[in-house]
Amino acid sequence: MNSSKKQGSLHLTEESTRSLYDKEIFVQNINQLITESELLKSLLKTFEEGEVLLEEGMPNKTLYVVLEGEVSQHKEGEDITADIGLLGPGEFCGLLSFQTGEPIFITIKAQSQVKTLAFDHNNFDLFYTKYPEISRTLNGLIFSNLAERYRNMLGLHLEVAKLTRELEKEKNQLRKTIKELERTRNAYISQEKMATLGELTAGLAHEINNPASALLRSVDYLSQNLSQLVESSAKFPSTTEIRYFFDAGLSREYADSIEQRGRMKSLAGVFSHLQRSKIRMVAEMNDDLIERLMPYSGKKSQQELLNLLIDAYQSGLFLNGIRLSTSRIEFLVKSLKSYSRQSGKSPEMTDIRNGIRETLQILGHRLKSVKVHLNLEEIPLINCFVGELNQVWTNLIINACDAMNDSGNLYISCGVNSANDLVWVKIADDGPGVPDKIKKKIFQPSFTTKTAGGDFGLGIGLAITQGVIEKHQGTISITDRDGGGAEFLMIFPIDE
Amino acid sequence: MSDIYIICVEDEPQVLDVVIRDLEQLEEFFPIEGAASANDARQLINEIKEDGNRIGLILCDHIMPGDKGVDLLVEMQKDEFTQSTRKILLTGQAGLDDTIQAVNKARLNQYVSKPWKKEELLKIVIDELTDFVIETEDDLLPYLSVLNQEKLQEAIRSKGYI
Repeated sequence: MNSSKKQGSLHLTEESTRSLYDKEIFVQNINQLITESELLKSLLKTFEEGEVLLEEGMPNKTLYVVLEGEVSQHKEGEDITADIGLLGPGEFCGLLSFQTGEPIFITIKAQSQVKTLAFDHNNFDLFYTKYPEISRTLNGLIFSNLAERYRNMLGLHLEVAKLTRELEKEKNQLRKTIKELERTRNAYISQEKMATLGELTAGLAHEINNPASALLRSVDYLSQNLSQLVESSAKFPSTTEIRYFFDAGLSREYADSIEQRGRMKSLAGVFSHLQRSKIRMVAEMNDDLIERLMPYSGKKSQQELLNLLIDAYQSGLFLNGIRLSTSRIEFLVKSLKSYSRQSGKSPEMTDIRNGIRETLQILGHRLKSVKVHLNLEEIPLINCFVGELNQVWTNLIINACDAMNDSGNLYISCGVNSANDLVWVKIADDGPGVPDKIKKKIFQPSFTTKTAGGDFGLGIGLAITQGVIEKHQGTISITDRDGGGAEFLMIFPIDE
Repeated sequence: MSDIYIICVEDEPQVLDVVIRDLEQLEEFFPIEGAASANDARQLINEIKEDGNRIGLILCDHIMPGDKGVDLLVEMQKDEFTQSTRKILLTGQAGLDDTIQAVNKARLNQYVSKPWKKEELLKIVIDELTDFVIETEDDLLPYLSVLNQEKLQEAIRSKGYI
C-alpha cells in the first residue's frame, strides 16, 4: 500500500486539508525529510519481527511513528488476550501514554521488520519547531488518529449492542435446544424403563406360566381322579391304604428321570398287565410303597385295586403340584409387588439386601443356567429410593447375564467398610469382561455392546444406573474380576 | 416292529407331570418318556436308538438350565436318527430370535405357548404323529384308532392299500 501514490501529493500542500490526514503522504513526506534531516535520521529505529515496542502497564517515554512494516496490538483482559489488529505506516504507537504519562495501554509488537521514528518528548518538541510544516500534518494525523479511535469506539459500542442482541437470541435458542434435549433424554429413559419392564414382563410371564400350567392341569386331573377315587374306594376293604398312598404322593420327592426309566423297565416285568402310564407312577414310588403294591401285582382280578392305589398316589402327587405351584405364584407376586413398589418423593431407610433378593427372584428366568453366589453380609439400613435401586440391580444383573450369554457365575456381595460409614455392593460375573478401552465410556449414555435392533434396551442402562447411584450420593465403578469377568462396585454413604 | 416314542423335555417336574398326563391316552401306541434337561434328553435319545426304537415326536420346553430347548431341536434336526422326528416347542417364553432359529434351523413343526389346553395340545400332537407315521410307516391301519383318521384314510387311499 505504500507504493500506490496519489497524484500530485509528493509535496507538502497547504491547500488540500485532506492531505493533512493522509498517512501515506505523511510517510512519503517524512521519508523525504529524513534524507535531509540529521535529527530525523537519529530518530530512526528498526524492530525485528516479534520485538516488543511498547509493553502494557509500563511507563512510556516514546512515541513511535510507523514508517514501514506492521505492528500488532494486544490487550490483556482478565483471562483472555484480545487481538486488537495491526497498525501500518503512518500510524502512531503509544500516543495516549506518551501524551498523558499514563502506563502503556496496549502491548505493541513488531509483526514484521518495522521501521519507525521514535520520538521522546525533547526531540518531539524540537521536531515541531524545526519542521512546522510537517508538524502541521503530524497534528492533523494525531487528530485524525484520535478521531478514528473515537469512531472505532462508537463502532465498538454498536458492535457490542449488536452482539448482545445476537447473544440473547442464541441464548434463547440454546435454552430451547436444552429443553428439547431434556425431553429427548427423558423419552430415552422412559423407553429404557419400558424395555427393562418388557424384559421383566416377558420373564415373569414365563415364571408364572410354568406354575400356572401345572396348576391348571393338576386341578383338572385331580377333579377327575378324585371322583373316580371316591367311587372305587367303596370296593376297597380298607381306606387307610388309600390314604397311605395319597399321603405318599403328597410328600413325594421328584425322582431323577434317568433313574426312573431304569426302574420302569424292571417294573414292567413285575406289573406285566399294568398300562405303561401306571408303571411310570409305580416307578416313582419308594421301595416301601412298591412292597405294598406287590400283593396285587400278579393277579388280574386285583388290577382294579392296584389302579386305585396308584390313582390315590397320583392324586396326592397332583395336589402336591398344586401346592407347590400356588406358593410359587404367590411368592412371585409378592416379590413383584415389593420390587415394583413406587417409592415416594422422599427416600426411606431400607435394607437394600431385600431389593437384591427380590430382583433375583424376578429375574429367575434369566438365571436358570447361572449359578448365583450370594454373599450378603449384615449391613445397616440406607436412606434410599427402593424402586430406583432395584432398577440398578436389575440393569447390572441383566447386563451380566447378557455378557455371559445366560450361563456362568454371578457373584453378588455387600458389606460395610471398616470406618463404618460406607456400604459397598459388588455385582460381578465370569463372562468375557470389559476391555480397558471400553471401561472408560461404559457409563456414557449412548454406549452399548448390544447390536442395534437386537435385544431390548438402548444402551443407556448403565448411564441410568450411574444417575440413580449419584442421586444416592454413591459411586459406581467397573474393574476386572479376579479370575476373569467384570465387576461393578457401588459405594453408598451411611446416613446418620 | 420297533416302537415310536414321544419325548417330553421340561425342567419343572410339576409341568412335566401334567404334560405326560395330557398325552397318556397315546401311550398304548407311543411310549412316552420324560427328560428334565437337554442333556437328559440326549441320553434318552441314545437309549431309544440303541434299543432299536424310533422317536416320533418331541415336545420341548425352551428355557431350561444347561442347553436351551431350541439348541436341542437344532441338534436333532442335524442328526439323521432324529431328523424326521416331529418337533414341538412348548414354552412360556422364547425370544423372537430363538423362535426364528427353531423354525429355520430345527424345522420346528409347532409352537405351543404355556399355559396350554389339553385338547389343543393333544390335537397338535396327534396331527404331528399322524404326519410322522404317514411319512415313515408302510402299514397305517393300526393307527386309525388313535391318530387322525381322516388324514390316515386319505394317505392309505393314495398309497393304494385300499
